[in-house]
Amino acid sequence: MTNKILYVLGIAALAILVWNIYTIARLPEETRQGEVFKIIFFHVPMAITAMIAAAVALIASVGFLLTKNFKFDALAVAVTEVGLAFLAGNLVTGSIWGREIWGIWWAWDARLTSALVCWLLYAGYLMLRRAIEEPTQRATFAAVFSIFAFIDVPIVIFSIKWWRTQHPQPVFWAGGSFPPDWTKHFLWNMLAMALLGAVMIAVRLRQEESQRELDSLRRMAHAL
Amino acid sequence: MQLTQLPMLLAQVTVEDLEREKIFLQHNYEYLSWGLTAAWIILVVYVLMMIGRQNRLKREISSLRAMLEEKK
Repeated sequence: MTNKILYVLGIAALAILVWNIYTIARLPEETRQGEVFKIIFFHVPMAITAMIAAAVALIASVGFLLTKNFKFDALAVAVTEVGLAFLAGNLVTGSIWGREIWGIWWAWDARLTSALVCWLLYAGYLMLRRAIEEPTQRATFAAVFSIFAFIDVPIVIFSIKWWRTQHPQPVFWAGGSFPPDWTKHFLWNMLAMALLGAVMIAVRLRQEESQRELDSLRRMAHAL
Repeated sequence: MQLTQLPMLLAQVTVEDLEREKIFLQHNYEYLSWGLTAAWIILVVYVLMMIGRQNRLKREISSLRAMLEEKK
């Protein structure tokens, strides 16, 4: 992807997000929860982006183990890091919503706990990568760890179905209702978050290429 | 709801109820602002971290290249 395309996509994503904050602020408040309900417009798209990133990391990790192609490893680390940032946003916005609606910052229910475990697992993935020097060994161990970490993703998604949780049931796939014009804003925000995530991943992928170049230059410097 | 029912409904609402509702709405809006600010801050911090890493990589690559050129 060229720089120009990345800039255009990034600016488009930011423009949609800024415009959406303006339009969301003008929407009427939710009957029971009031204004704070509108956190959903950021909380859920951030979660979906993070879960998509985790799925891509899984595919890339399997791809690396099958082919030993380092491009898959670079993709895995890029999507994991970006997904981690989005999941952090999801956890923090959820906690702020919980403080207002539940009166507590955190509850150890299945959804919240599994999401936190997911964040810790992927943070562990990044720490593992820092701990191993040799590139092939690092990529292999990280790929296996990433596949293992993905086990938590379906638990995060379906925990609200499998167990009785304090976290609300989903609005979209459990018979909940959302006014059509609210859905429109939600989908725009979803698109903007996904676009922003894609731009970040593309930039991060380039950094991985630069890191590989740096590693090879270091090896050459040692050899001389 | 019929219009004649409105005065009866209003008669049941005390000044304290209205005050409580007002405080709840203000509080509510405050938390929404905190939530949105937190989401933005996390993304901006991550972007700044990426920019920092990009600059470090560029600097290290160019210094190593210069060193290799010198040695050659």
